[in-house]
Amino acid sequence: MNLKACYRPLTLKEALDYLEEYKDKSKIIAGGTDLIIKLRKGNINPQVLIDISFINELKGVLEVGEYMEIGCGTTFYDLASCILLNERLKGLKDAARSVGSPQIRNRGTIGGNICNASPAADSVVPLLALDSILTLESKKGKRKIYLKDFFKDKGKTDIRDDEILTTIKFKTPTKNQGLGFYKLGLRKSLAISRISFSVFLEIDDINRIEIIRVASGSVGKFPMREYKIENYLTGRILDEDTLNTALEILEKDIYERLNGRNTARFKSIAAKGVFKKALLKALCLAKGGGKIED
Amino acid sequence: MKIELNVNGKDYSIEIEEHLRLIDLLRDKLNLTGTKEGCGEGECGACTVIMDGRIVNSCLVMAFQAHKSKIITIEGVEDEDIKNAFIEEGAVQCGFCTPGMILAAKSLLDKNENPSEQDIREAISGNLCRCTGYNKIVSAIKKAAEIKRGGRNV
Repeated sequence: MNLKACYRPLTLKEALDYLEEYKDKSKIIAGGTDLIIKLRKGNINPQVLIDISFINELKGVLEVGEYMEIGCGTTFYDLASCILLNERLKGLKDAARSVGSPQIRNRGTIGGNICNASPAADSVVPLLALDSILTLESKKGKRKIYLKDFFKDKGKTDIRDDEILTTIKFKTPTKNQGLGFYKLGLRKSLAISRISFSVFLEIDDINRIEIIRVASGSVGKFPMREYKIENYLTGRILDEDTLNTALEILEKDIYERLNGRNTARFKSIAAKGVFKKALLKALCLAKGGGKIED
Repeated sequence: MKIELNVNGKDYSIEIEEHLRLIDLLRDKLNLTGTKEGCGEGECGACTVIMDGRIVNSCLVMAFQAHKSKIITIEGVEDEDIKNAFIEEGAVQCGFCTPGMILAAKSLLDKNENPSEQDIREAISGNLCRCTGYNKIVSAIKKAAEIKRGGRNV
C-alpha cells in the first residue's frame, strides 16, 4: 500500500473538494468491504483515501413524491430493515438480506455495490428491475443516468474520477405491481451469487402483463436487463404456455451470451428456475398477498 | 495521523499509519490479541468486533475509519452468561473462532433474549468454525439466552 493521506469529510461538498484535488490518485471508501481487499491485494494503489462513511447526508431512504430515494451510503442492514420500503419492494429487501454476512451487511453500502460493478452484485439486480436512476455529483454539477446504462464492462462503470454516486432513485411500486428476487448461491451466507434474478411486474385482473422488467446477476459481464424475455412477455397473458416459451427464450439467450464458457450450459438451464422463482414472487406481491417459500 | 476512539470503555488518542486496519490497531497497537485474524477477507468472522453496537469484520475496516467509534472486543465482554454457556456446552474446541462467535452471540442477545434456532444460525452465519460442526455453538447460545431470561442460574 502506498497511502499518503486519508480524509474523513463530514459533508458532500468537502468530499467533492478532495476528489477534485486528487482525482485518479484517490479512491472513495465507504464500507470498505470490497475496497480493503483490493487495496491489500494490490489491485488498486491509491495515494489518498476519501472516506465518505461519516457523511450523514448520503445515508438513508427518503420518499420524494412518487419516488424512493436511497443515499449511496445506506448499508445493506439499513436497507433490509427500512420501514419506508413497502411489502411490494420485498425483492429489494431480500437482495439486501442476501448480501455477504451480518458483518458485511453492517458495513457494506448500496453505492459501493453499484460502483464496484461486480457481475454478482446482489443489490444491483433488483435496482435494475426497478429501472433506477443514479445521481452522480462532482464540483462541476450533477448528472443523472439510468442504472441500466451505467455498467460498461466487468468492473467498469460510467463514473468519472471526479464524481461521487450520491443517490439511487426509483418509482415506488403501487397497486398491481411487485418486485421479486431470487438467488442461487453455493452456501447460504457469504455466497457469491452464482445466478440471481429480479423481476418487476405489473399485472391486470386477467393476468395480462402490463409492465415487466427482468434483471440478472452473474450471467454476464455485469448485472443486466434481460430485454428479450421482457419484450416477449409484455402484453401477454401469463399462463403456462407463455411462461414455457419465455423460459426457452431466456435459456437460448443466456447460452449464446456465455458461449465458450464451461458454465454456459449449467447457467442457461439453472437461470430458468431462478427467473421463474423471482417471477412468481413478483406475481404474489402484485396480486397483493400470498407467500412463496424459498 | 491521529485518531480518537473508545475500546472496551477506555478512551484512546493514538497515532496511526494510514494503511493500518482496525484489527492491526487492536492487536499490534493496543495489544488486544483476543481478536483473531483468519482469512483477512471477511469470509471467516474470526476478527469480529462490535463497532458502535453492530458486529463488523475488523479486517475490513481501516483504522482511520474507526475515529470516534466505540469498539468492544472479546476482552471487553463482561457477559459471563455467554462465556459459561460456551464452556458448559463444549462449544469451544481449538478456540480460534470463539472470540468472533461470542461477539456475534452477544450482538444477537443484546437485541433478542429469546432467539429461535434460525435467529441464532443467522446471527453466526458470518463466522466459520472448523471444529465443532456448529451444533454445540448453537446450543450454547440457546443456553445463554435461557440463563438471561432467568431460566436457571449457573
